[in-house]
Amino acid sequence: MASSSGNDDDLTIPRAAINKMIKETLPNVRVANDARELVVNCCTEFIHLISSEANEICNKSEKKTISPEHVIQALESLGFGSYISEVKEVLQECKTVALKRRKASSRLENLGIPEEELLRQQQELFAKVSEEAIQAQETARKYCVRAFTRSLLSQSSLCHLSQIVCERF
Amino acid sequence: MAAAAVPVAAAAAAAAAGSEPAGPGEEAGAGPQCPGPARLARLPLARVKALVKADPDVTLASQEAVFVLARATELFVETIAKDAYVYAQQGKRKTLQRKDLDNAIEAIDEFAFLEGTLD
Repeated sequence: MASSSGNDDDLTIPRAAINKMIKETLPNVRVANDARELVVNCCTEFIHLISSEANEICNKSEKKTISPEHVIQALESLGFGSYISEVKEVLQECKTVALKRRKASSRLENLGIPEEELLRQQQELFAKVSEEAIQAQETARKYCVRAFTRSLLSQSSLCHLSQIVCERF
Repeated sequence: MAAAAVPVAAAAAAAAAGSEPAGPGEEAGAGPQCPGPARLARLPLARVKALVKADPDVTLASQEAVFVLARATELFVETIAKDAYVYAQQGKRKTLQRKDLDNAIEAIDEFAFLEGTLD
């Protein structure tokens, strides 16, 4: 849905998302199209308002990145304190799941084997493979030589036989 | 070695125009590190982040901050819709109209920043 030629100021929350939220909040209520449009634009304004305030709070705190706490403080100072408790709940879940995920992925990565050991095992495997390849080449070469020699011999014995035959007759 | 395994579904859902239904405990629509509970009306985090960054003064916002802001925006929509609906009911209408929103914006202090929001 993002238009490639739009500039930053044309950004809004997608209509479908807003429609869904309105539907859930007011089921069985019809909503005029221009009302929906207004809600979309209000969302944009809301986000700008909160992020601007959060940015100021962030600058005052001498941090470079806006943290969730800055956003929460912004909500409070702009009169949206009633949103804070729900927002905090969700933030808590967020942190819990992120923590679980980090633990799980590091467990999976390591499987209890340190990196140096894994590297060493890898080198060993590579060495083994090239060793086997060389041996296979050798064997093939030997077979080729034997076959060649045999064919040479059989040719020369044929010659010898034909000579004898020629002499007899 | 990347520590954050990003489920493709989550990234796709976050970028999608609409909101995807999230399974219980699933991460759909939540972005790399912030899955949420099962909620149907999830705002696309990528879009929220883009809106935050549209402000030239804003340098960086953490993912969790964007997530918190998205959730606050959802609450905002719910609140303003409900508040506006009161006016529709007063007018004995079953359809929410733009003027109901205008009334709510005028009447409620916190919505003062919306006065003059153009279409």
